[in-house]
Amino acid sequence: MKIGVFVCHCGSNIEATVDTAAVAAAAREFPGVVFATDTMYTCSEPGQDEIVDAIKEHNLGGVVVASCTPRMHEQTFRRTVERAGLNKYLFEMANIREHVSWIGKDREANTNKSVDLVRMATEKLLRNRALHPKKFTINKRVLIIGGGVAGIQAALDCADGGLEVVMVEKTSTIGGKMAKLDKTFPTVDCSSCILGPRMVDVAQHPNITLYAYSEIEEIKGYVGNFEIKVKKKATYVDWKNCTGCGICMEKCPSKKATDTFNEEIGKTTAINIPFPQAIPKKAKIDPAFCTMLKKGKCGICAKVCPSGCIDYEMKDEFITEKVGAIVTATGFDLFDWTVYGEYGGGRYPDVITSLQYERMLSASGPTGGHIKRPSDGKEPKNVVFIQCVGSRDKSVGRPYCTGFCCMYTAKQAILTKDHLPQSQSYVFYMDIRATGKLYDEFTRRAMEEYDTNYIRGRVSMIYPKGDKLLVRGADTLMGTQVEVDADLVVLAVGAESSAGASELAEKLRISYDSYGFYMEGHPKLKPVETNTAGVYLAGACQGPKDIPSSVGQGSAAAAKVLGLFSKDQLESDPQVSIVDIKRCIGCGKCIQTCPFGAIKEIDFRGMVKADVIETICQGCGICTSTCPQGAVQLQHATDNQILSEVNALCQF
Amino acid sequence: MKFQKELKDSIRKALPELDVVIGWCGSFDPLHATPHFIRREEDIDKLEIGPLSVHNLATYLPGLRSKKVGIVVKGCDSRSVIELLQEKLIDRENVTIFGFPCTGVVDQAKIKKALGHVGNVQSCDISDKSVVVVVGDQAHSLKLSEMLADKCHSCRYPDAIISDYFVGDKIGDAVPAKADYEALETFEKLSIPERFGYWLKELDRCIRCYACRNACPLCVCRDHCAAESRDPHWLSQENNVRDKLMFQVIHAYHLAGRCTECGECQRACPVDIPVLMLKQQMNKEIRDIFKYEAGVDPEATPPLLSFKMEEENITEKDW
Repeated sequence: MKIGVFVCHCGSNIEATVDTAAVAAAAREFPGVVFATDTMYTCSEPGQDEIVDAIKEHNLGGVVVASCTPRMHEQTFRRTVERAGLNKYLFEMANIREHVSWIGKDREANTNKSVDLVRMATEKLLRNRALHPKKFTINKRVLIIGGGVAGIQAALDCADGGLEVVMVEKTSTIGGKMAKLDKTFPTVDCSSCILGPRMVDVAQHPNITLYAYSEIEEIKGYVGNFEIKVKKKATYVDWKNCTGCGICMEKCPSKKATDTFNEEIGKTTAINIPFPQAIPKKAKIDPAFCTMLKKGKCGICAKVCPSGCIDYEMKDEFITEKVGAIVTATGFDLFDWTVYGEYGGGRYPDVITSLQYERMLSASGPTGGHIKRPSDGKEPKNVVFIQCVGSRDKSVGRPYCTGFCCMYTAKQAILTKDHLPQSQSYVFYMDIRATGKLYDEFTRRAMEEYDTNYIRGRVSMIYPKGDKLLVRGADTLMGTQVEVDADLVVLAVGAESSAGASELAEKLRISYDSYGFYMEGHPKLKPVETNTAGVYLAGACQGPKDIPSSVGQGSAAAAKVLGLFSKDQLESDPQVSIVDIKRCIGCGKCIQTCPFGAIKEIDFRGMVKADVIETICQGCGICTSTCPQGAVQLQHATDNQILSEVNALCQF
Repeated sequence: MKFQKELKDSIRKALPELDVVIGWCGSFDPLHATPHFIRREEDIDKLEIGPLSVHNLATYLPGLRSKKVGIVVKGCDSRSVIELLQEKLIDRENVTIFGFPCTGVVDQAKIKKALGHVGNVQSCDISDKSVVVVVGDQAHSLKLSEMLADKCHSCRYPDAIISDYFVGDKIGDAVPAKADYEALETFEKLSIPERFGYWLKELDRCIRCYACRNACPLCVCRDHCAAESRDPHWLSQENNVRDKLMFQVIHAYHLAGRCTECGECQRACPVDIPVLMLKQQMNKEIRDIFKYEAGVDPEATPPLLSFKMEEENITEKDW
């Protein structure tokens, strides 16, 4: 093979600490190399043209580019060599930027290391083979996991684009966290007034199938052809006939059920519809509180239901759906703030979370929109807001900023004044992070027009004093201690990954960070993709996000799905494992270790052999490191290719 | 041995259903035993078990997979059988296991060292305490405890863990006289260059006969060993210590968490290279990381032959 080597300056990114001309000169001596040069920006149009021209002029059979990380430009250069008529796998990249020039200042050492990396790349290239992708047909249906605002947006955009959409929502209604909010910042729009119509659209759209009160049990398959097992949890109400009239709720004698929709500010009935705008507006029974299900006595809801749809014998049901792409929009949950002993650790009823306060502000909430202290039902006068509860705090393992608490706290302070003009709000904050459009103006309004007292400092202690709470903290701008007699304390509790996020990630085979937030394909360039083909992210499951960002991601994920489905067939990545059937002894070790279930046992002339299902294989290489005799080889990273690189580098 | 007759009776009872029963019998001289393949009833009488029954006969099992095979096992050998069962390299219904309580086997290398030159052995008498070898009309009395294989001193499973027929009285789980990895831990105290130098020196005399591999009950790749393949081409056929060391490293890695430390590799080595230590090193790591011991539970999966999203003792997230 005749090899051409192109050593990139990357402006001064590489050239400043690597003698690229010397690297090119050294490369000319390597076996197979017939042409080597250094170029200013190899990725630019003239840079790419130089590669194309060199391939033609020198009749090159393979190309090495020494430049940045392959994550940046491998695809770029593969297209370049393809344009010149070469197979795109007859190309290798040596990373002399992230691995060399950016991490060391010694020009001589950097140059030597670059020469080594180029030698490794050329040795591997000599053993590369042309690889050809296979084509397979795809199922143009999409699964949306999670019916919050991000999932709703993704579902509607996909459905409007003509795709069949399956939405699976864990709770008995879609709407997510946004449905619990009273108003939204910075416009103070009524949250359910803007979200409600979208929720109705989901219910009415002919292309959308909604499974509420359902969870993902199992995911099999691969991009274009996933098979999803959905668990429809037993609601004990036949939703086909339930009209959502609510008579069952009125008559249910068990009125102490946990009201998760209202963040446990009040109690609800064992059979309930979470809120008036719920979609679907159907009742479900909470078996932990239903007397009939617990003791076999009662049955009042069945008697009063006008459509006779109560079924105490109902069981979980499993449904299989086939889709070609998945959008994960599972959102977030609130940090468990009771770990903070200084805020009472959950002992004081008048210390509540921001989301509980939101339910209290909402006209459809348990207090009908009146701000009342949970302890005695009185209207508070002094309301203290504490920001960064479970955000930016390494001591509780939450070093990240949730990002939207500054804004909703300002909104809640404004709404407090609107509801109770005689009240005074205090906000303990660390920094105000109001970086969105009209956001800083909004927090300023809270301070300047609504007379909110912003105190820069942390609260060290809350303790009861009579029927009030004494909040003691520092004012770091004044350098003094502050004490506020509070009637109500609202904690701006930070976001964390939703419960069960990691289990779902394992089913989806996507990665997640140490906090359980899902990892995007690339932090800048692939914000809604994952590293698993056909699985996309939307909203706060990827990291805490406010509503406009979540909606934006919902649309972005939908655009990705529509783009994926714009073709009838997909090409499979040929960088997959292949079994050399004559070397395989059929021990099945690779089948046991494959994380993707991509290897199956086959019968070959009466002998057991392993066989890779190419479309499922993700090319991770675990099978190749498991197989003792090397019968499974990962294409484009075969043992011999890797050994040639090692041998090029390590002289024994 | 006292239960030898009992064992023969059991084999006689089972033999009609089996194609072959593998045990041991006398060999070219009284100091050695050799594997014995019992196919007919008259073969049974030649069976002999005792401290000379050194071979791990489980090595033969994968190659006889399609046959109904009986096998006589020591405690340590039974662990290899378990490992083969775990890895589905043999089928339980095709294997009949005869276990007995083992009180240790000799290390021929130690006897050879004690006698100096082992010539024409006239007789060998082994009692509970001593080994009396007559060579060239001269009797040498050796202490049995000093002639036992190292593995016997740290043996915790003298009885076969798995068996269909068990003869004699079970000894029960023994409290080993020596800790598992005493010699290894001493070796680990050396510096890395010292250890590397040691292996280069030891492996320099390797003749690449692959007896270590062929004796290993868990080397199951048959004709497809990475040592003799061009694709993948892990080793060249050159005579250099680099490739000799590389082979031992490959062998040790392939056995990590699978090796039951039966010591057959080291016993088979014609130039006495202490290759078992490499496998012990890997097993020690596996034990520390995965709390796993190979060849004890037929239902278990060796840790490196499974995939877990999160390992309990490998905390990637804290890196």
